[in-house]
Amino acid sequence: MSEAARVAPCERCECELEADDLRCPICGLSTPPPEREEATRERAKVVRCESCGAAVEYSVEAKAPRCDYCGAVTHVEMTVDPVDQAQRWLPFTVDPKAANQALAGFLGRKAFFRPSGLAQEAALESMKPLWWPAWVFKAGVQVSWTADSDAGSGRSDWAPHAGRTRLDFTNILVPASRGLKVEECNTLTPRYRFELGENEGRGPEEASVERFEATRSGARKAVLQEVERLAREHVQESGDIPGRRFRNVHVAVALSSLRTTRWALPVYVLAYRYRGKPYRVLVHGHDAELVFGESPISAWRVLGVVVAALIVLIAVLYFTGMR
Amino acid sequence: MAVGHDESTASLTEPRLHLGCQACGAMLVLEPALRTTRCPYCAAPAVVERPPRPGVPEPAFALGFALTHAAAKENVSRWLRSRSLFCRSGIRSAEPGDVHGVYVPAFLYSALAKSSFRATIGEDYQEQESYTTTENGKTVRRTRTVTRTEWRPLQGELEGYVADVLVTASNGLRNEELEALEPFDFRALARYTPALVSGWVAEEPSLTREACLKGARSEVGERVLKRLAGLMPGDSHRDLSHDTRLDWESLDVCLLPVWVLPVRYAEGEAPLRVLVNGQTGEVHGEAPISTWKVLIAVLVGLLLVLGGVLYARGGVG
Ligand SMILES: [Zn+2]
Ligand SMILES: [Zn+2]
Ligand SMILES: [Zn+2]
Repeated sequence: MSEAARVAPCERCECELEADDLRCPICGLSTPPPEREEATRERAKVVRCESCGAAVEYSVEAKAPRCDYCGAVTHVEMTVDPVDQAQRWLPFTVDPKAANQALAGFLGRKAFFRPSGLAQEAALESMKPLWWPAWVFKAGVQVSWTADSDAGSGRSDWAPHAGRTRLDFTNILVPASRGLKVEECNTLTPRYRFELGENEGRGPEEASVERFEATRSGARKAVLQEVERLAREHVQESGDIPGRRFRNVHVAVALSSLRTTRWALPVYVLAYRYRGKPYRVLVHGHDAELVFGESPISAWRVLGVVVAALIVLIAVLYFTGMR
Repeated sequence: MAVGHDESTASLTEPRLHLGCQACGAMLVLEPALRTTRCPYCAAPAVVERPPRPGVPEPAFALGFALTHAAAKENVSRWLRSRSLFCRSGIRSAEPGDVHGVYVPAFLYSALAKSSFRATIGEDYQEQESYTTTENGKTVRRTRTVTRTEWRPLQGELEGYVADVLVTASNGLRNEELEALEPFDFRALARYTPALVSGWVAEEPSLTREACLKGARSEVGERVLKRLAGLMPGDSHRDLSHDTRLDWESLDVCLLPVWVLPVRYAEGEAPLRVLVNGQTGEVHGEAPISTWKVLIAVLVGLLLVLGGVLYARGGVG
């Protein structure tokens, strides 16, 4: 979507609007209607079919005005809820070769529970460069909260408190990926350099795009939930509530100037096989240093630790029992 | 009036309109309360277009009918059969009459509500209490744990948008009736265009903007109170009150789809008016209760009790 297609924000809450919004999704204010020719005197208008010219009536079956003669449906400006696709893309700056090396480095890393021959025995099964979807938003939030805390308490352990605070969220990322786990997304996110954003995807030829699955209203819901979660977290952790202990924290939010951008973010998803079992590893598309994922656990080493722990335990019991 | 019913408060009145049919040229006579008509000569559907009039807003939105004529009738038949036994005879077996679909004007209101609230919050605590009781014929002292409530005052502020508030703009549909038909699904909201109401009966707003604004504001007050009740801390609360300022109020006319059915259930009685939400199929009507049936039921109940008492006495003596 080009920058020129942007529409003016909502007059009441200054939240961003899409070109086909009839009302602001945040505050409910109606958007200005398109310019229409005003009638200069009363007339009884017969609505005509755009394709055959017959009189058109609204049809319940079609849920739209439909022509009985030719079946053509007249277009009406309706509330729409499409699945929107990415607006901004981050290019892959790590090439497939570097991603492969990153995997080798990951497998060669020494860790106590890992089987020793992992780097030699593991076989790369697939490597998929992928753009995963995310919403990035900014918003001003007026937070009203109430809670019980120990500050000012009398006979009961709790006293009620209320307050208000203004928060400004910038560049908050909400993952929209179904393929990646939320924790995986949260690990990847801090290393993206959003200032490198482009209007198209640039990367390895075989790179695929995970499409957004949530509709526009679903996206707004996800963003709103995140705003509420962050507001609650802020109230609980910022020291706004007096006292040392609190309970029954309630928050209500009013958003303004919400802007959401849909991003496509690069990552390599690698699968390797070790002794017949598949494992998955992620390599950051911007930073080959960030490699993480699953690795096999050496059953022998785990068993060794358990046996050692048991021996220590028995020994302790034995000696304490002697006294 | 298209939906029936009459109330003359704060209504708008205007003379009838005489307009030429665009299809055949015949003269159409239009009720001022209606926005649509059908030419009696050529059956062409017509939608009235007027130059902007001060104080009479044009519809901004419409919700199209989604429930068919047959489905509306079926819903009403099912509704009639499920009425209480105490309804007037004939109601449960009545057949709905001619169904007609009407686009009823309502105001869709939204605002930014800034409230300051006061409440008394109850914080529970536990206390040991000693009491005396009789055990095995002796008076003894015992202690027990009781929960008491400490009441503390709280005041604060709440800011939020209130949207999707609907109030009727037609004196044919009372606001209680509209509330009974709600909710409407605003995801199907369309921008008003004559094509949406072509071939259907559509009413013009007959209540003034000011009258509707009053209704909308009082509904906002109720919603704010509900929101505040959910926000209160503590174990309980009482005396919750608020003082709310409404900023950025907006009011748009929205045409709502309503099926109207008269139900005849007895000779010489005015038909019962049943309304159906043209989108969801929700049915609303006030089936009259038969005073005779209630009276007889009460008498039968009394007789049964009396009979029971007499029987019990007879059994003992
Ligand atoms: Zn808005
Ligand atoms: Zn046609
Ligand atoms: Zn005609």
